[in-house]
Amino acid sequence: MEKTEFLALTMPFKDKLYRLAKRILVSKDEAEDAVQEVFLKLWKGKKNIENYKNPEAFAITMTKNYCLDRLKSKQASNLKIVHSNYQTSENVEKNIEANDGVEMVFRIMETLPEQQRIVLQLRDVEQFEFSEIAQMLDSNETAVRVALSRARKTVREAMIKKYNYGIG
Amino acid sequence: MESVKIKQLLEAYFEGATSISEEKMLQDYFNNEKVADNLIQYQPIFVALKAAKEERSTMVFNLPETKPQTSKKWWYSVAAILVVAFGVGSFYFSQPSYTQEEKEALATFEKSKRAMMLLSENFNKGTERLTFVGQFERTKDKIFE
Repeated sequence: MEKTEFLALTMPFKDKLYRLAKRILVSKDEAEDAVQEVFLKLWKGKKNIENYKNPEAFAITMTKNYCLDRLKSKQASNLKIVHSNYQTSENVEKNIEANDGVEMVFRIMETLPEQQRIVLQLRDVEQFEFSEIAQMLDSNETAVRVALSRARKTVREAMIKKYNYGIG
Repeated sequence: MESVKIKQLLEAYFEGATSISEEKMLQDYFNNEKVADNLIQYQPIFVALKAAKEERSTMVFNLPETKPQTSKKWWYSVAAILVVAFGVGSFYFSQPSYTQEEKEALATFEKSKRAMMLLSENFNKGTERLTFVGQFERTKDKIFE
């Protein structure tokens, strides 16, 4: 496979991979590194990529696994992920006042367990079908629905709190 | 869109029971329409989800420039064949080959060599005969002492 062909095949979902990586790893730099790594792996295994019915789903699975591995090795070595683009607490508070609860929704999403974060990202942001997500995560539709419902409810609780008692 | 319908969709949404098209309706409503007061607390969720999809990376991803391994091997075999062919060829073509002029010169050389040989043989014959002259000399000395 030629480079141009490979790029034509993979570039349409580049941003999806990046957004998923960023949802899991939070940091922009980490996410870019992860996507770069996934692209290298895809390029090395490019003979196989044509055999997959759905290269996008395959790439998403790869990205998810790579990011979770990164996260695990970070935790194991007791390193805290440094978010260069993550706002300081003062900034967040200013933004919440200025930006409704949007910033707060993002902050809550960061606190969700990884699996819920991934499911929320793939469904509510990228709008994949349950069957597709189940395949990407090597799971089943029921489990995906349950994780998704939990993630959505967690966000809802936080929003209700905010609107009932002011900024929570 | 009426807020009762949206409320029903929201209920289903939080149970994970909405379809993609229903979720798109929710996103549309909260992003583009005048949101009812009793639903305002849900607006940030859908605004955030829509904003999340807009995020892009400006980074350029690099791919290493790797020539496929197979074509390299192909080149090695071609190079090897060329070397062998050159060796064999140069062996064959380095065998002496003469121009017309050189052939004539060579033939002339052979002829004159034969002529020389003939001359030399006759000289030798002559020298043999001369030994008789030497014998004659000695006998003559014996007689006339």
